[in-house]
Amino acid sequence: MISFRPTEEERAFCEVAKTIAVEEMRPSARDCEQRRSVSASIAKRLHELGFLGLELPESWGGLELPLISQAQIWQVLSYGDLGIVQGLPGPGEAASLMRQAPEHPVWRPYRDAGQTGIWPTVAFIDGEETIEVRRSRDGYRLNGTSAPVRRAAFADWVVAAGKDNEGEPVIVVFDERTWETIEGDFRLGLLAAGLGRIRFSDVFAGNDRVLARGEEASALLGHARARQCVLEAAKEVGLMEAALDYTIEYTAGRKAFGQEIAKFQGVSFTVAEMAFECRGARNIAWAAACRVDEQGRAAEGFAWRALARAHRSVRYVTDQAVQMLGGHGYVQEYPAEKWMRDAQAQVLLYARETDWFIRRGEQLLDERKERVAP
Amino acid sequence: MISFALSPQQKQIKELVHWFAQHEVRPLALEADRLGRVPEEWLQKVNKMGIQLNTSSFGGGRSAPAAGQKPDKKEREGNRVAVIAAEELAWGCPAIALSLPGPGLGGPPIQSSGTPEQKQRFLSIFTKDEPRWGAYALTEPEAGSDASGIRTTARKVDGGYVLNGQKIFITNGARASWVVVFATVDPKLGRAGHRAFVVEKGTPGFLATRTVHKMGLRANETAELVFEDCFVPAENLLGGEELYSAAAHQPSGFQVAMKTFDSTRPIVAAMAVGIARAAYEYTLEIVRRDYPKQGRLYYEAAELLAEAEQEIDAARLLTWEAAWKADIGEANAMEAAICKAVAGKMALRVCAMCLELLGPVGLDGHLVEKLYRDVKVFDIFEGTQQIQRLVTARRLYAPYGVHV
Repeated sequence: MISFRPTEEERAFCEVAKTIAVEEMRPSARDCEQRRSVSASIAKRLHELGFLGLELPESWGGLELPLISQAQIWQVLSYGDLGIVQGLPGPGEAASLMRQAPEHPVWRPYRDAGQTGIWPTVAFIDGEETIEVRRSRDGYRLNGTSAPVRRAAFADWVVAAGKDNEGEPVIVVFDERTWETIEGDFRLGLLAAGLGRIRFSDVFAGNDRVLARGEEASALLGHARARQCVLEAAKEVGLMEAALDYTIEYTAGRKAFGQEIAKFQGVSFTVAEMAFECRGARNIAWAAACRVDEQGRAAEGFAWRALARAHRSVRYVTDQAVQMLGGHGYVQEYPAEKWMRDAQAQVLLYARETDWFIRRGEQLLDERKERVAP
Repeated sequence: MISFALSPQQKQIKELVHWFAQHEVRPLALEADRLGRVPEEWLQKVNKMGIQLNTSSFGGGRSAPAAGQKPDKKEREGNRVAVIAAEELAWGCPAIALSLPGPGLGGPPIQSSGTPEQKQRFLSIFTKDEPRWGAYALTEPEAGSDASGIRTTARKVDGGYVLNGQKIFITNGARASWVVVFATVDPKLGRAGHRAFVVEKGTPGFLATRTVHKMGLRANETAELVFEDCFVPAENLLGGEELYSAAAHQPSGFQVAMKTFDSTRPIVAAMAVGIARAAYEYTLEIVRRDYPKQGRLYYEAAELLAEAEQEIDAARLLTWEAAWKADIGEANAMEAAICKAVAGKMALRVCAMCLELLGPVGLDGHLVEKLYRDVKVFDIFEGTQQIQRLVTARRLYAPYGVHV
């Protein structure tokens, strides 16, 4: 039955998340950005509440929540600050790989580490085009530098997905610092997220470091990407909701020409359009979450388009937030400029908006059955 | 829990209505557009089949409890069923869908504000023996978006009211057996002076002066109505005098009109979604068949089609959200405005994208150009997209006490 009502459990999670987002994350956002890392107290608090293990298997001590529940929680946390969310310790994107293959021996040290403390931080490289992976008899040799990824600056683990020199997909897992982190010169946004590049200089990964190869790797990765697309879209929705709410409050109080600027339709109509974008992107993300929960990788096209839609919406909404605040939107005394920068950095990290649409379009052109049901 | 899966009833109605739209409506769409009307014999036929554009099919199918009957304890899903059915009908042809016999947009105000006697009297006439229509008349030459500015007057006289004024852009207004007409008992009272009347066809002084020619929806009748010293008996005052005296300080006639929008805007939005989907599916088939399988054109088409698909689904979900809120009994005016604003604009854009993909061939005898002409008005009637922005903004700013 069509319903937009969260479960009691989801509501309870989101209530706690909202309190942390508003009372702890939002006030710390500038400070974390300047320090270029997330404050330990916020990380600890979210770890204690289980928020860093939402995707992880229950058998590991994670919460293993459905994607639709996670989407709502990340949305609310990102309402606090997306920069902090993206810099949190824990498994990050690799959680979806862990969830799919929890018994794989390559994860054992990770699981063990999580029993006694905060989940180690994993940087994930979807490095098909940037990392050369050469197959040898007893493993792989990696060379090359990744594109910027989040949490590179403080990664304890690195998971790299790519194709070997024979074109076969492979996912390798490193739990020792065999890589080098290139810190780079990041100024745009998500500055608390530990952005950096990972460099492999002839690093050997034995077969015991291989999570999957061939068809298995492709399936694992496809499903993990779908899950991540949905979660990243949900985070972007949280950011745009923050920008929308702030803009409403600001324009309701700010006066010009003798009245609240909200009373000018140039302002109020723009705010309404921001709300349209937020709702639209949220529903598309939620619908994708439900589909992926039900159908797994088969629903990946819905996840791609959810992210593509969120990219477009988050750029629009955060840009308009700055615009509606005028000069105040541009200066750092107000949060809008940071949100716009964070939004654009997020879009760059999970980019290829057009590519997501083209991929989805290819799927549609390839489908043969009549598409009556939504 | 959050879910986007259809219930068994919703699925059944969707399939049934889609079958009808595919086999009975779509084959007639281009011909009805050329004729500028829906053939009478077709209307007779579908009316005998029991297919109508009525509030009960929009309100949850024929199983909806009749007046006085106890509602069952199952979750109400009439509004969700309504938007699902509306999308399918419009997918077949929006002009024919709007021409189907039944109370149409006049149904919701009678359902929501009519007395039990009025509901019985006006809604029971839609039987299989012959096709009948209802209509809804709010817009006037000088009062479109600003519905509070209507100038049609209702002067109280012994036993009823005398109406004078003009209404324009009234769907099925000339053929309707009755029309819900909004008028003011005193223009100085503003919204508080508004009253809604059910004016029956043949009432002396009530005339349909002409039907207009439009860009699209050509098969659907749009009429201008004139009221000249038209006496309407007191029993045709919608809701009766009690409705207005009980809410002496409320602009209740205006509220009847506005409340109607809360249920009709999601339906109009759903129809826009259906039109966009029709254009998209039609174009998808042509691209699959005629386009090269690789290269620039192929990738451009893939991108446009994926974007169209996403836009259609996003608008549909907003429509479902508005309907869901109505079903659970929550105020949905903002959601109704949002879905209408988004769907109306989206549908025109999707139709334009589809025309772009068809290229010049699309000018000649293709369904999409008709849909493009049809869909524009979905961004206008039942409140323009500007009005939907106003309604949305008012609700967004209400917590701050700022009236925009």
